[in-house]
Amino acid sequence: MNVTGRLAWRNLWRHRRRTWLTVGAMVFCNALLVFMISFQFGSYGMMIDATLSIMTGHLQVQHKNYNADPRMRYTVPDGLSLARQLRQQTGLESMAARGTAFALASSAERSFGIQITGVEPDHEPLVSNLPGLVRQGRYLEGLTTEEIVVGSVLARNLKVEVGDELTFLGSGRDGSFAAGIVTVVGIINSGNADLDRVIAQVPLGYFQDSFAMGGAVHNIAAWVEDLAAVQPMKKRLQALVADPDLVVLDWDQLQPGLRQAITADITSGFVMYAVLIVLVAFSVLNTQLMSVLERTREFGVMMSLGLRPGTLGRLVLLETAVMSLLGLVLGALLGIVITLYFQVYGFYIPGMEEAMAQYNLPGRLYPHISLLSVILGPSVVFIGGMLAAIYPSLRLYRLEPVQAMRAA
Amino acid sequence: MADGYAPTMRVLAVLAWRNLWRNYRRTLIMLAAIVVGVWAMILFSAMMRGMLDEMVAGGLRVLPGEAQIHHSGYRDDPSVANSMDAPAGALRNTLDSPPIQAWTSRVKVPGMVVSERDSRGVVLLGVEPEGEIALGFQPDKIVEGRFLESAEDDGLVIGRKLAERLETDLGKRVVIMSQDPDNEVAERGVRVVGVYTARLQGTEETYAYIGRQVLQDLLGIGDQVSEVAITAGDYLQVNQWLPAVAEAAGPELETLPWTRLDGYLDSMLRVQGNMNVVFMVVIFLALSFGLVNTLVMAVFERVREIGLMMSLGMRPRWIMYQVLLESLILLTLGLLVGNILALVTILPLESGIDISVVAEGMEMAGMGTTLYPALAVADMLMSTVVVIVLGLLASLLPAWRASRLDPVRAMART
Amino acid sequence: MTAIACKDLCKTFTQGEQTITGLDRVSINVAPGEFVCLSGPSGSGKTTLLNAMGGLDSPDSGEIRVGDRRVDQLDKSERADMRLHNIGFVFQAYNLIPVLTARENIEFVMHVQGVPASERRDKSSAILEEVGLSGLGDRLPAQLSGGQQQRVAVARAIVSNPTLVLADEPTANLDSHSAEQLMELFVALNRERGITFVIATHDVRVMAYCRRLIRMVDGRIVADETQPGIG
Repeated sequence: MNVTGRLAWRNLWRHRRRTWLTVGAMVFCNALLVFMISFQFGSYGMMIDATLSIMTGHLQVQHKNYNADPRMRYTVPDGLSLARQLRQQTGLESMAARGTAFALASSAERSFGIQITGVEPDHEPLVSNLPGLVRQGRYLEGLTTEEIVVGSVLARNLKVEVGDELTFLGSGRDGSFAAGIVTVVGIINSGNADLDRVIAQVPLGYFQDSFAMGGAVHNIAAWVEDLAAVQPMKKRLQALVADPDLVVLDWDQLQPGLRQAITADITSGFVMYAVLIVLVAFSVLNTQLMSVLERTREFGVMMSLGLRPGTLGRLVLLETAVMSLLGLVLGALLGIVITLYFQVYGFYIPGMEEAMAQYNLPGRLYPHISLLSVILGPSVVFIGGMLAAIYPSLRLYRLEPVQAMRAA
Repeated sequence: MADGYAPTMRVLAVLAWRNLWRNYRRTLIMLAAIVVGVWAMILFSAMMRGMLDEMVAGGLRVLPGEAQIHHSGYRDDPSVANSMDAPAGALRNTLDSPPIQAWTSRVKVPGMVVSERDSRGVVLLGVEPEGEIALGFQPDKIVEGRFLESAEDDGLVIGRKLAERLETDLGKRVVIMSQDPDNEVAERGVRVVGVYTARLQGTEETYAYIGRQVLQDLLGIGDQVSEVAITAGDYLQVNQWLPAVAEAAGPELETLPWTRLDGYLDSMLRVQGNMNVVFMVVIFLALSFGLVNTLVMAVFERVREIGLMMSLGMRPRWIMYQVLLESLILLTLGLLVGNILALVTILPLESGIDISVVAEGMEMAGMGTTLYPALAVADMLMSTVVVIVLGLLASLLPAWRASRLDPVRAMART
Repeated sequence: MTAIACKDLCKTFTQGEQTITGLDRVSINVAPGEFVCLSGPSGSGKTTLLNAMGGLDSPDSGEIRVGDRRVDQLDKSERADMRLHNIGFVFQAYNLIPVLTARENIEFVMHVQGVPASERRDKSSAILEEVGLSGLGDRLPAQLSGGQQQRVAVARAIVSNPTLVLADEPTANLDSHSAEQLMELFVALNRERGITFVIATHDVRVMAYCRRLIRMVDGRIVADETQPGIG
């Protein structure tokens, strides 16, 4: 360390307690930011995964009008073969075709208007986690069998159990009368009552026959490894889908609410962080201003030795930088330790279950530490501290050596 | 003087005040930090409360009411089979007397609406329009046509989104289908007489309104209804009047407050309340370092002086009081200015902040597209308590240290 | 060729409503290698004159020339550079940087001048020896006596080989023995290195060492005499 460095370092420790308190404010803020940002990023990841894995998937091939206006007639023609072809060409097995229709479902005792989804039983489990949530009976088998799986609440409302028959009445794609009788083979319990009230799935082949779909489907959903793989896969699918009436949509287009919910949460979070950082900056400002003021005489002597105000200003900035760096390193370390602890053991907010279920999140949350989540907060705090030191260092330009040396 | 010199509070306050302004820059910076902290605390809680009020109010308008009475099996199985008799006798008397402001009974059954082009599963609501409006239906949300005129009105009022989905329109005929108690499909044609909009798209797609009597006739349930919705104005007071209603309704029926009917709302309300306190404490902690720092510096600069006071016979306890008083003055000033600043910021915003850019995200959380900050005295008090109590706690250490100075050594310090 | 040339320097201060005359048409010339003493009672203007010469303070009117430069026409940074390279300052006590050791105080100036590290080391060792402080280089100012501190200040002032040293009451806080030692150091530096010294003082012990004695009263020069037999 050169003389200036040593000078800065020692000046910092002239008021041990003051420096530690200021560093403490930064450590507190930095550790909190690392944890909170990791926590936010972690819960966003979980939220996106949990929401998309129910049904939506990462990508869907649809008729270009279907997303904005989901009507039966906006179909993907010959969807089963297209799905098969896409699976082959991309090598991505987790791709499944679906069809959707509304119908009045009746059991021996009850009738409900429901949404029936036709699925490919062999491929649906790779795209959606619903097939894995069958709690009674089994999932669908075969493409044309006359069977159905329903959500647990729907089953209760319809008063049906595994083995009972359901009749459905609706209209087909061409407006014709659509009806059928299916056997309940499984009951899905996702734990989310809103979801369990609407699930009704039948094999896609049977669906197409019943609702006059011909070979058409309403969408082909795909699940890729992780979010980073979404855009590359989207491009590939776009290149492979030749029909100009079809589009490939990603999860953000399919569920715009998801990203907006995240944006809203990030925004409100960042407003709070900004306040914290401003408060820390005030702490730094106070400390550095005091430090400059009490050394007025000393600075006067230095100026009389021929040091320019700029050199002295840089000295104050260097002192601030050293202090802020200390806060950054200690704060980031503390933040990492806390975050890693909760990343392993999870984090539970009492009374939050219902609120989290709304976003399909489990009761226990896990932060997700990353380079970005560790660096982001502390570096902004560092910058805030440096900005706060500008005023004290600028004061040095106004310093007149003669008066400065007369100061006590 | 065995007791030592005990100055009056007045003298102490004057001393504290003057000491505070000896280093006015430091005091002003600290004051600014406290002001920003307090301002943020109040602003944030006002935003949160605004969001929540809006959410709860919106939720209760759809629910509707702060409490509802159902057949004990209805909530689990919302079928026409689980209907109840319309309120009469003791229950009716209770419902007609204060503090209850309004109540209405409704038929609420799952059904379908079939248009020429499409069909959708909906919840059919057989209502009595006057009561429905008293419980929160906003007639000004009717964008086309009209709302129902009476319980005998056989027109159908649907949400805008449902109209789009069904490709139907005002004046067109649609078929409503539901199930009567014998599990026979009951259906009839009706004319769409009104289209409404709602805060949430889900509401628009789900609820279709028709005259109560018309639906009762269709289902053949006589005077029976699915639920009785009750309001007394303030959703926080529900538990005060609910027991009387529950008793009048009898054990056969299920009488529940909104907190049980909509667990999500209740959960959000409680979580947000806690979040507010956590947020305030976090902000305060960030502040506390600066506060302690300011006091430590102030004591450090005055070591000689404090030594002098002690050697003049001032008791250590009073030295401590003096430092605490300085802290208290600083905090009080900060609170005062912070509160005023928060008021000035929030009042112009009370007409609402447009957050429609994230509308669909807010809808996931059950919120609308405009945020109305709501300033609550409770939040302002809470921030005051947090700042004063924790502030004095944080000041104890520097104050105590000042009182422990050794007068002789303190005086020798240059 | 003069080391310092002042012509008609005037300077007034305002204190409250009063106007105080700091310098009143002061003109002096100091030749290179001179050893000059500015004497006079407090408030007579000697410090003001010294500060003006060093460019720490500007006169209201008049000219100051140090070497071939017009100090009164330089801007703040140029004056700082002039002090850094050409002028050494020594004040009353407490003018060392308290957190740096004696050696670091000396090296700090060289560091700012951009002298390489190895050279700094050699120079600071040599200069510490020259001022009689070898072995004490690693002490902090607080661990040195007043006289030793002043000698560090002198070492710091001359380490960059200035042509001019300005000293303001350098002996004010020193006992007689230390004051004598300091003055002898000044005289030796004046003789051996040819450094010009201007010392403001009202200490008769200092005046005894000066060849040329300038007396000031109320901002005016009232006497400028050469003391025979000194130096």
